[in-house]
Amino acid sequence: MSANNAKVSAAGISNAKQSSEWDLVITRVFDAPRELVFKAWTETKHMAQWWGPKGFTNPVCELDVRAGGAIRIHMRAPNGVVYPMSGVFEEIIEPERLVFVSSALDDKGNSMFDVRSTVIFAEQRGKTALTLQLRVIKATAQAPQYLKGMEAGWTQSLDRLGDLLDVITGRH
Amino acid sequence: MADRLSETFGALADPTRRAILARLTSGEASVTELASPFAMSMPAISKHLKVLERAGLIARGREAQWRPCRLQAGPLHDVAGWVEHYRRFWEQSFDRLDDYLRELKKKDSKDKEKKHVRKQRKG
Repeated sequence: MSANNAKVSAAGISNAKQSSEWDLVITRVFDAPRELVFKAWTETKHMAQWWGPKGFTNPVCELDVRAGGAIRIHMRAPNGVVYPMSGVFEEIIEPERLVFVSSALDDKGNSMFDVRSTVIFAEQRGKTALTLQLRVIKATAQAPQYLKGMEAGWTQSLDRLGDLLDVITGRH
Repeated sequence: MADRLSETFGALADPTRRAILARLTSGEASVTELASPFAMSMPAISKHLKVLERAGLIARGREAQWRPCRLQAGPLHDVAGWVEHYRRFWEQSFDRLDDYLRELKKKDSKDKEKKHVRKQRKG
């Protein structure tokens, strides 16, 4: 299975085309010093605390932070479904830039989509402006369903929480 | 067909092809019309059109001799859906990162306070 993964992600990388245009760019300003934000991205104990949508946990979170180093994250939805992901760091410039390729895996360990993420950490008067550039290298037809399933994972649990709160507050 | 989405992303990764699609949103056009804004040979434009056609992003008419190109929005919907879901994944993660950093900062300043108090006691 792991040999299979390696093949998939290697193929993904060789298919990558350099381009000045990106598929998706997300920016956010964090009220924390740049060193700290960079740490949150590169230290396992920190990363496991925030990676993934609301309510998710990361029972497996391994980061080998060097060029060519492996990433392995198993994200667990509130409804118990586990979403495994593997990846490789391509570039690390502390504390300003991170590049990695990540692949979401199906239950057979095959990649459903490979995305190259470039994270730029810029200092902004004591705060950190973070720019995340995402370029899709490979995506199969299952990819949208996969993400939809993940979303269902957390919205359902939020619905349940809402119901529970309604019961507690005596609205039902 | 399994890699349809990949093909769509690949087709969209090129600025010329995106410009061609943008032009087609305002209606059908011939290859000559599509080529006119670009400093590019006709074979080069044809190559781009073939990529778009293979990805199902455009269709070419058979009726007229000039075989007009027109936009097919299906694959774009798939990409838009994917991007939307992925964006939401990241927005949620960033909300959590924001909360987490606030916690870290609080802890950090408490640690500093403790150290400061200890120093004062020593001194």
